[in-house]
Amino acid sequence: MSFTQAIIENVLKLAEEKGAKKVSKVVVELGDLLLINPEQLGFCFQVLSCGTIAEGATLEIKFVKPHIECPICGKHHSYPVAICECGGIVKVEGGKDIIIKRVEMEV
Amino acid sequence: MHRIEVDAEIDILDIDKRLAAENRDFLKKHGITAINIMGATGSGKTLLIEKTADTLIDKVKIGAILGDVIGKADYERVVRRRVKAEIINTGKECHLDAHMIHHAIEKFDDVDLLFMENVGNLICPVDFDLGEDYRVVMVSVTEGDDVIEKHPEIFRLADVIIINKVALAHAVEANVNKMIEDARNLNAIAKIIRMDLKKNIGFNEWLEWLEEALSRSK
Ligand SMILES: Nc1nc2c(ncn2[C@@H]2O[C@H](COP(=O)(O)OP(=O)(O)OP(=O)(O)O)[C@@H](O)[C@H]2O)c(=O)[nH]1
Ligand SMILES: [Mg+2]
Ligand SMILES: [Zn+2]
Repeated sequence: MSFTQAIIENVLKLAEEKGAKKVSKVVVELGDLLLINPEQLGFCFQVLSCGTIAEGATLEIKFVKPHIECPICGKHHSYPVAICECGGIVKVEGGKDIIIKRVEMEV
Repeated sequence: MHRIEVDAEIDILDIDKRLAAENRDFLKKHGITAINIMGATGSGKTLLIEKTADTLIDKVKIGAILGDVIGKADYERVVRRRVKAEIINTGKECHLDAHMIHHAIEKFDDVDLLFMENVGNLICPVDFDLGEDYRVVMVSVTEGDDVIEKHPEIFRLADVIIINKVALAHAVEANVNKMIEDARNLNAIAKIIRMDLKKNIGFNEWLEWLEEALSRSK
């Protein structure tokens, strides 16, 4: 998958900049609303990192919830409903990003 | 050797976002209305483009970028309608992305209306902004009347939701009202159209929406 490829490319670039010999852990934030299966992401990471200095690294995935709020009554919703109990049109923000937060490496 | 921790904050989708923004600038600069048509395989996406061209081609210059895993059948269908077209074979990718569109878009600088027919499925295309003005999501009753509730995210982000082949609803025991209700529960503002392209149901409603969209980008 192309997201995993992009994660690995960015990790390897960072590792090279720091002169690392090995990458041991990658922490990624994953938006809750992205249609990405974390198990599949983990599997692709294992496969695509093979033969690189990130081979065998742990991929830690932290899910990030979107901010879902009704602009009329201010109620926070836990999942993206379209219309609030008050009739307001609910606003959904975030939950759509993939961010590499932290990389642990051996230098 | 010793271990270090590097705080990164690298946005993986940054390139996609940038390319989508560039596509959007290009489209805007040339006064093009761009529509990303997503939907299930066989729901009627290409037929919608064909019928739209049949009606509008003498007054609106239409282009179409057709995403397909393999093959060029859709391409031949729209070219016959005098639509300026380009096919993108996505290979193992199950969606179009801003990068593919970026390569294809240049030759469409003279069109008024650009359709981007995405690869037929309701999951993979969702997370990829192509730079379009509008997102149209098309399903048909033959996919089952639970198809909308099972794919909330794509319908949540749609500007137009089309439920096609409604004349077949009885035969496949699909409840169209339930589908419309599901769509409304996921999306309070999208235009929802009940359609049958073979029986000419809902097509005028689509044309009205489209002409309004076209006049907005002028
Ligand atoms: N009965 C009926 N058949 C339809 C309708 N709309 C499309 N079809 C037929 O459904 C089949 C698929 O239509 P297409 O326009 O190729 O669908 P598509 O969404 O472009 O399909 P893919 O590109 O393969 O994902 C064709 O045989 C169409 O003639 C409709 O409203 N009613
Ligand atoms: Mg098609
Ligand atoms: Zn409210």
